[in-house]
Amino acid sequence: MTISLDLAYHAPASLDETLEILSEQAGRTVLLAGGTDVVPSLRDDLISPNRIVDLKRVEGLGDLAVIDGALHVGCLVTFSDLIGSPAVHARLPVLAEMAGMVASVGIRNRATLVGNICSAVPSCDAGPLLLALGARVHLVSREGVRTVDVDDWFEGPRRTAIRSGEVVTHVTIPLPASGHGAAYARLSRTRGEDLAQACVAVVLEPGDRPRIAFGAVAPTPVRARRIEALLHAQGLDAGAIDAAVGLVAEEVAPITDVRATRRYRLAMCEVMLRRAVTAAAGRAAGDGPVHGTPLM
Amino acid sequence: MVDHTFVGHSTPRIDGVEKITGAAPFTDDLDFGPDLLHAEVVASPHAHARILGIDTYLAEQVPGVVKVVTGKSFQSTFGLYLEDRHIFAQDRVRFVGEQVAAVIARTRTAAKRAARMVIVSYEVLPAVFDTDAALADGAVELHPDLADYGRVPWFHPRPGTNIAHWRKLRKGDVAAGLRDADLVLEDTYTVPRYAHAAIEPHAVVAELSVAGRLTVWSASQSPYTQRNLFAEALGLSHRDIRVVTPYVGGGFGGKAGVTMEIIGAALAMTVRGHPVKLHWSREQEFVNTYQRQGLRAHLTIGARRDGTITALQHTLHWDAGAYVEYGANVVNAAGISATGPYRIEHVQLDSLCVYTNLPPGGPYRGFGYSEFTFGLESHIDRLAHGLGIDPVEFRRRNAVVGGDELPYGAQMNPSGLLEAIDRAADAIDWGIEQPAPSPTVRVGKGIAAFWKAPAMPPNAGSAAFLKFNEDGSVNITVSGMEIGQGYLTAMAQIAAEVLSVPPDRIRVETPDTDRNAYEWQTVASHVTWGCGNAVLAAANQARDRILDTVHRALGHDVASLYLVDEQVRSTTDPDLALPLREFVVTGLEQPSDGTFKGGPVVASGSFMPEFTSTRSDPETGQGGKPNVHYTVGAAGLVLEVDVETGRIAVRTVALAVDAGTAINPVAIEGQIAGGVLQGLGTVLYEELRFDDGGRLLNPTLTDYKLPTASDIPDRVIPIIVEVDQPDGPFGARGVGEHTMIPIAPLVANAVEDAVGVRITSMPITAERLYLALTAEDG
Amino acid sequence: MGHAVALKVNGESWSLEVEPAELLLEVLRSRVGIKSPKPGCERGDCGSCTVLLDGRSVRSCLVLAVEVDGHELTTVEGLGIDGLTELQQRMVELSSFQCGYCAPGIVLTATELLAVNPRPERHEVQAAMSGNLCRCTGYAPIIDAVLTAAATAAATTAPEV
Repeated sequence: MTISLDLAYHAPASLDETLEILSEQAGRTVLLAGGTDVVPSLRDDLISPNRIVDLKRVEGLGDLAVIDGALHVGCLVTFSDLIGSPAVHARLPVLAEMAGMVASVGIRNRATLVGNICSAVPSCDAGPLLLALGARVHLVSREGVRTVDVDDWFEGPRRTAIRSGEVVTHVTIPLPASGHGAAYARLSRTRGEDLAQACVAVVLEPGDRPRIAFGAVAPTPVRARRIEALLHAQGLDAGAIDAAVGLVAEEVAPITDVRATRRYRLAMCEVMLRRAVTAAAGRAAGDGPVHGTPLM
Repeated sequence: MVDHTFVGHSTPRIDGVEKITGAAPFTDDLDFGPDLLHAEVVASPHAHARILGIDTYLAEQVPGVVKVVTGKSFQSTFGLYLEDRHIFAQDRVRFVGEQVAAVIARTRTAAKRAARMVIVSYEVLPAVFDTDAALADGAVELHPDLADYGRVPWFHPRPGTNIAHWRKLRKGDVAAGLRDADLVLEDTYTVPRYAHAAIEPHAVVAELSVAGRLTVWSASQSPYTQRNLFAEALGLSHRDIRVVTPYVGGGFGGKAGVTMEIIGAALAMTVRGHPVKLHWSREQEFVNTYQRQGLRAHLTIGARRDGTITALQHTLHWDAGAYVEYGANVVNAAGISATGPYRIEHVQLDSLCVYTNLPPGGPYRGFGYSEFTFGLESHIDRLAHGLGIDPVEFRRRNAVVGGDELPYGAQMNPSGLLEAIDRAADAIDWGIEQPAPSPTVRVGKGIAAFWKAPAMPPNAGSAAFLKFNEDGSVNITVSGMEIGQGYLTAMAQIAAEVLSVPPDRIRVETPDTDRNAYEWQTVASHVTWGCGNAVLAAANQARDRILDTVHRALGHDVASLYLVDEQVRSTTDPDLALPLREFVVTGLEQPSDGTFKGGPVVASGSFMPEFTSTRSDPETGQGGKPNVHYTVGAAGLVLEVDVETGRIAVRTVALAVDAGTAINPVAIEGQIAGGVLQGLGTVLYEELRFDDGGRLLNPTLTDYKLPTASDIPDRVIPIIVEVDQPDGPFGARGVGEHTMIPIAPLVANAVEDAVGVRITSMPITAERLYLALTAEDG
Repeated sequence: MGHAVALKVNGESWSLEVEPAELLLEVLRSRVGIKSPKPGCERGDCGSCTVLLDGRSVRSCLVLAVEVDGHELTTVEGLGIDGLTELQQRMVELSSFQCGYCAPGIVLTATELLAVNPRPERHEVQAAMSGNLCRCTGYAPIIDAVLTAAATAAATTAPEV
């Protein structure tokens, strides 16, 4: 279990102090929030930083609030915080639905939404949903603040648009209009704690173009723009959904690995898409399955 | 049935409070002070290679490193049944992960760092990763010295090949039996390798005192067997080795025999005066202990229209791995019992233990029976369907009963198989169709029967020491292991029944070979039976001493005396009520003269089956009595398949097992709930997968998926059948392993019932089932 | 470089100097002498190293010891100081555990669940427990004990009608 690296540890109390540490010499720094991905990566020598900057003592990074029609999720907000938030349940229940499928209680108590998109493993749960919700990633460095559309965030497995010296302070998620319906469906090997073999997020807003994204079926979470356009043009009747399902193979590029074959992932993306769109449409209409009901 | 006071009554575990409070010590919990050293192993990256040289210089320069040890220091072979292993690889490595050297350092970090700096140069050799490749003409030979390895007399290796043992069994005339059949069905079934995945990884601490005394603390099911192998491999007297085994965090066979513990013991020999600790990481746990062996089974069964099975031919090719010192006996056990619990006139079994360049195979709950029962019980179902006979009825017609002749000629023990089949079928409403809850879901039911005998040397012994304390409580020391099965509680109940002392006033201790009586190993589901008999003998001896004391002090006829409620009472003197606590240590005063009779009551008991023999004809397997008895049972299951995804939800499992006499019913229910889920894990989720170089692809619990609390059946119905085992303590026989044996074919049979697809290769994951369903469509 | 860490473990104050690379699990076991959090998988999969950090369950194999400066930890050793809890009593009565290695983690996870959700449904117990692996029991006797403890607690605290 031992980590065999020599590490320096910093726990700055403010953002300014954080940025100052980050700007000091070009050390190999890893930012630490919940640590559920960082710590095993250190142990397995997947990363070999020489210093850790722990963000948990920085004021203000744990904020979770609705501000100007968007949900502000600070970089220290854990999945359990999302699940326990009345605002999330009232305004964006699909976020709690997704959070409830991440790993286990003991991980969710520690793991953060922002950390999940920063570690950016292809199977991350938050990625597809934030894509479907049109979230924005807010960064700060000594050069100032910067905002990245989540569509431009993921650059590859474990690679994102973050630059050296930057910290993701929070993400903002525009709250969908009332009357929206959304669903997160996830395929995993067991019904308990497991990584996603494939997943899909669907957000339907009245009159607007549907937003749909897949996870674990490409190097990064991916938007399904052709499916979105088709459903936008044709509506959500059975024929349109059939046609959308027919486009799945053009939208995703799953691989075969120890968790699933390409063929199964592809086929299950089709099933998940159908079930998630149906559930989201049902929820928009007020008669869909309760959030958290497994669709797979 | 006899009504007992303690035996047969559900009794909360006597180790319950210790475990629930975190007080129960496990090996890694023991403290050893500042002179404790830590070891890390250097493992082979190759599946098969010649070792050209080992350069330890750089590793030795790492601060904190005490010593780097290689195979040069330890050249003797060892093994439980076949001596085909070395403590460290000598001239060649035979699987990815095999230990080549070890670093001993003052800290784990230093050991880990230095281990990476040991430079081993290899010449890579061709490797074989499955039985077909290993058995092919011209295949690379893994053990050219096979003929010279020490072995037990019932093993039959084929030097010059990769066959470490070939168990043959011939009964009747299979060709004639198949000609006599109305339906002959032939197919091949494959079972991959599995991991025990006990939550506690293997751990060992060993210390050679400056005076030459070796003490080993290990997480083990086999303290005495470990002591024996350490003595042989390290050249010490048994007297000078002490093995202490605290609680074990799950065994399932994975902590039987000796695996990594011998590395710890050997390393201690090189740093006299210092305890050395070796603790497997989860990755090492997967790769370098035992794995359940893979199996490719070719099965031909013939049956007549009336439902009589006429002949069975079962050829089992076991992927036993790089070393088979223990695993070859799994092959042997299957090779005499792979008929399943059926009366069959003509039988041919061939069970081949095949070396491959994968991690060593070995014992795993079920000991070969879980593996072959997948194909066998699948095949039985298919035959029943082919003959148009109900699968429950088909099994009933062929079920073995007490007194039947076994495949090797001996007689079957009393058996409640028919009752088990009937009760398991009833419990799942066999024959009654259940409605599907949604249009994409299909419901199916399955049934399967099973049997298993303890696989032991003919002279596997058990012993117990028992002593009374001043307050009339009792301490018992045995060397079976509490690995979770509830053994300590069962032993307490057996002694309680004889002594009238309640189980919660009896402490049964985990082993320390200096102090506790002998036990061969805690394997084979035999300790309730074998060690139970030893405890029973010890308790009887203690009772006899107590009654004799009363007789000598007070003059009562021994025949009139008995124990009840922790007192000695008399059938002839209603006034006699002597509390045990008043005299079991300090003796009983003789009224006539004030002298005392008796003294501290101590007793011992030992047991060995004196009717077993492994002497049989190597060409036919006929003769001898290799198995002490079989435990039988049957199970039924209801599941749902989502045909769009292949996902299976298990609704109900009913499992009936013939315990002889249930010593502790709640413990048997626990074995059923746990064994069922472990079986479901193997058939629904788990599988060890290797790349084409023999490297394990999923050596983590992230990707070796164990069932979680959300993956359990809606309902597990435990059914305890009780047909007395005449030579068991109070009629008991073991049930621990058996509860997982029927689960895989049970699921396969229910899946076919649900969706009409027969899967002949484990596991039946959602993905495999989906692919099979869609292949059928296309 | 060592860092001074002050923390409370089961109500007792500890001041330790730790290296940044030291895991909370290692420090608790080797420096504080708390043995109930067990190493099982070392990557957060099994839950046997679970401790309560400020009342919430976390995997002590995924937390650096240096992170817990100023925080409070509870392990199963700290639950039973005044005798077994209701939950622990039910677990003993129902023989919920077999080998017992996963027990400390499961007891803490279940304790947290009952604090957050005193009357859980069976499926909620299953979901909450699904990150704590047990290889022996099939989980059913554990789930039954959690539900029984919840029902008992509800019965003893229910207002009179």
